[in-house]
This record gives sequence, structure tokens and C-alpha cells, in this order.
Amino acid sequence: MARLTAGKLDAADDERGAAGVGQAGPAPVDVAVEHISHIYGAGAVKALDDVNFTVERGRFVGLVGPSGCGKSSLLLMLAGLMQPSEGRIVVEGTELSRPDPERVGVVFQEASLLPWKTARENVEFPLKVRGIGKAERRTRADAFLDLVGLSEFKDRLPNQLSGGMRHRVSIARGFCQDPHILLMDEPFAALDEQTRMTMGNELLNIWEKRRKTVIFVTHSLTEAVYLCDEVVVMSHRPGRILERIEIDLPRPRTYEMMATEKFGRLRDHIWRLIRKD
Amino acid sequence: MTASPHSWRIRAVQFGAVAIVAAPWEFAPRAGLADPTLLPPFSEVLKQLIVLLSEGSVVKDLAITASEVALAFAIVAPLGVGCGLLLAENDYIGRVFKPFFYFLASVPKSVFLPAFILLFGIGFGQKVAFGVFQAIFVLVISTVAAVASVEPELVKLARAYGASRARIYAEIYWPSMLPFIVEGMRLGVIFSITGVVFAEMAVARAGMGARIATWGQTFQMPDLYAGVLLVSLLSITVNEALRAYERKVGKWRG
Ligand SMILES: Nc1ncnc2c1ncn2[C@@H]1O[C@H](COP(=O)(O)OP(=O)(O)OP(=O)(O)O)[C@@H](O)[C@H]1O
Ligand SMILES: [Mg+2]
Repeated sequence: MARLTAGKLDAADDERGAAGVGQAGPAPVDVAVEHISHIYGAGAVKALDDVNFTVERGRFVGLVGPSGCGKSSLLLMLAGLMQPSEGRIVVEGTELSRPDPERVGVVFQEASLLPWKTARENVEFPLKVRGIGKAERRTRADAFLDLVGLSEFKDRLPNQLSGGMRHRVSIARGFCQDPHILLMDEPFAALDEQTRMTMGNELLNIWEKRRKTVIFVTHSLTEAVYLCDEVVVMSHRPGRILERIEIDLPRPRTYEMMATEKFGRLRDHIWRLIRKD
Repeated sequence: MTASPHSWRIRAVQFGAVAIVAAPWEFAPRAGLADPTLLPPFSEVLKQLIVLLSEGSVVKDLAITASEVALAFAIVAPLGVGCGLLLAENDYIGRVFKPFFYFLASVPKSVFLPAFILLFGIGFGQKVAFGVFQAIFVLVISTVAAVASVEPELVKLARAYGASRARIYAEIYWPSMLPFIVEGMRLGVIFSITGVVFAEMAVARAGMGARIATWGQTFQMPDLYAGVLLVSLLSITVNEALRAYERKVGKWRG
């Protein structure tokens, strides 16, 4: 799996400053979820119940909780695609009322590729919508397809790719958008264990270079502890926040850490919370 | 489609199947097993087909039928797709009128022909009108299906990327719908041909349908079979050309 050449990702053109790293004082709040409740349909399904938390700039935050507890719903709201029944979402200081792809990018739970576009055209699509020129689009798309190990499959249509490959295209598309805040809804769930590990490490690589704010939904507690600075644990539907757990493992994270006692203790703690609920 | 050895074998078997029909057709009348005045040998029919194509009057009839079909299709294509879009996109109109289209689609259109004769006469206009009537239902229904085929997930995705309404139509709706629309168009042409030829066979002074009806009534069997062969070959050609296009724009399906 190829690594990105230094220049492509290192170029620190992030006008927001390097995420408070090395700066004095706490990093500013990038995302504030303020007392969100959500009811689907005419009072039929209550999905979220007074969810309230903030994410500081540059943090890697995990979101875990039982199936159907409202994680994807929350992500849709964070992406500006759905309005909560109650409460509001503030991104970089302004309330979010519609999609703003330069600030917030999404990798959806389903691969959601445009079936009539090739892998490369799919990765390019968000950039095309944003009006970025063909040459630049192509360079960026190719770099990220390379990163997810699909350079030989660039010109394939989705129906000629395996399920895992389709998900990798979708991940490349998410990275390629280069937003301030990246939302990822179980992006690695469809991948085999080894690819999942590689993808996780690539994600951490990119994140360490660019210090994006990442909100990452997963069902794998190991993955949550391995990747995140903090894990937000949600209850059964209607989703409430049970606890926010600081993952104070050193970075960069290594495979060996998974075997440490501390890692085990953190994962155990989350497991007990979810099980008890 | 690539020509694999396998597909060649299928072609060979199909050719054989045609031969199995053509050979008895050729030899039964010659051997006195069939009445050659009712079933002339296959080669006679083919010979007659060449003769017909060299006859100016038959070519003229063919041109009349073709222009009736072309005009019917030129009317029904935008009309059918337009009605389909309206029914699919406007919730209220859709809920009110969609059932009527589905009900009428199931009624054999031929029973309306006498009414069309009374309303539109027996000329060019009536053939076109009946062609439109035959084809409109299938076009409307396939357009409604085309709109229904658009994945809401993909629309959501494009919205998340900040796509404008126009871009969503151009990049999500249009490519999703195109294979269905082309399929509707193909069925529309075939149904237009059916309507026009059927109307011509009933009452008309010109056109291939009228020719074929006359040949049948006057026992001109070689001409009759040659006419049937001609109309069949032309319809198949149109259908296959559109099917090839349909496959091309629908490559991503399945
Ligand atoms: N469009 C919708 N209409 C009605 N109810 C919905 C809709 N979308 C989700 N729900 C309901 O809201 C609840 C939360 O759904 P959501 O998809 O956010 O869960 P999730 O935490 O992402 O689950 P999973 O881990 O299985 O992906 C579920 O009970 C679901 O049935
Ligand atoms: Mg989900």
C-alpha cells in the first residue's frame, strides 16, 4: 500500500492554525452539540434524548453505542443534512443549518458510490461539486486512491468492485474532501481485519499530519480505544450520553499497545457501560 | 458484447433453429405436402421481397408508414416522458392520476380503434393518433419507474457535498433515469409501430399495413409473406439498435 509523498499532505495550508498543538491554553471548541433531541415521524420513534457534548479542535473523538441508538442520526445532523427536533449544532462558532462541505465532510455508513461513475470519478465528485479544476481533482483523487490501495482499480465501475473495495473508495472520497471536520460512520466495518488495521493507521497518519477534527462512529471497542483521544459512549435508544472517556494512551499509537493492561482496562470499562445499559 | 467461443456456439444453434423452420417451408410445398398457393416456398418469398423493394409503390407505402411512426413517436416521446415526470414529481397529481394510467394500460388498445376511426377519419392523422395512443402508457409508466429508481441515499450524498438543485438533477437524477427512459423510448417506438400498422390494416388507402391486408384478402401469398418479413425485419432492427444503446447507458446496472 503506497504512502503519500510528503508534499501532498504536509502542505500546512490550514488557515485555522495547527489545532492548538504546542500552543498555550485549551484548543477552541470546533463542534458543540447542544441539547439535541430527535423524534422521527409524528412522535413515533425517539432516536436521541438531550445529547450534549463538545469537541475541541484537532481531537479524534469516537462515538460508540448499541445499534439503533442514534449515532448515524447524530452524524446526519452534524453534516447539516437533518435538523434536530430540539437543540442545535454549532460548528466553529456558527450554527449549522445546511451542509457546508468545506468545513464538514462525511463518510457515510453505506459506501454510497454513484454507480455510473468510476472509482476515480467518485472520489473526484465532491471536489467537482466544489468547482475544483480537473487537473487538481485528478491529482488529489489519485493520491488517495493510492493510499487506500486501489490505484489499479481507478477506472472500474462500482459494480466491478468488491464490497470492501467500494468502502475504500468511499473512504478515499472522504479524505479527499479535506474538510476541517471529518465525520466517519463505521467506515471500516466492511473491511477485513488486516485492511481495517492498515486503514486505521493511515487515518491516524493523515490526522497527525493535518490535525483534523474527527468524529468516528464504530462498533469495535478495540478500534475506538486504538484510534481515539476520547470515546463518547451512548445508551440504548433513545440515545443519551452515558459517559465520555478520555483515552490517555500515548501517541503515536502502536499495535503493541493493544496488549497493554491500560488498553484492556479502557476497553473493559466501555464494554461494561454498554452492557449494563 | 464480446464474441466468445461460447456465444458463437449459441449463434450456430440459433442459425440451426432458423434452418429447421426454413427447410420444411422450402421443401414441403415443392414436395406437394403443402398447398403452394397458400404456402409458397421460402425462396419464392425471398425473391418476392427483392421484387417488392425494387417496386416504387411499395417503397412509397413503407415511407408513409415510417413517417406516421416517426411523427407518432415525436409526439409521444416528450408527451409521455413529460406526463411521467409530472405524475412522479408532483405528489398530488401523482396520487390522483396515476391509477388511471395503470388501469388504462391494461386495456387492449385495439378495442378503441373504431372510435379513433370515427373521431379522426381514416387518413394519416388517425394513424398517428392511434400510434400515440398505443405508446403513451408504456412511456408514462417507465418514466414513473425511472424517477422511482433514483436512490434517495445518493441525493443525500450530493446534498452533503453542497450540490445545487441543478447539479443534483444533472449528476444524480439524469444518469439514474437514463437507462429506464431509453427502455421506455424503445418500447414506445415498438408500440407506435404496432398502433400504426394495426390501424392501417383495418382501414387505410396507403401504408404497409394496408398493403399487407390487401395481399391477404386477395391471396397474393408470396407478397403477403414478404411483407410480413419486411415489417418484422425493420422492427427488429429498430428494437435492437435501441437495445444496444440501452445496454451502453445502463452498463453500471446490475
Ligand atoms: N428515517 C427514519 N425514519 C424513522 N426512524 C428512523 C429513521 N432513521 C433512523 N430511524 C430510527 O432511529 C433510531 C436511530 O437510528 P440510527 O440509524 O441513527 O442508529 P445507529 O446508532 O446509527 O445504528 P447502527 O449502529 O445500527 O448504525 C433507530 O431506532 C431507527 O429505527
Ligand atoms: Mg448507523
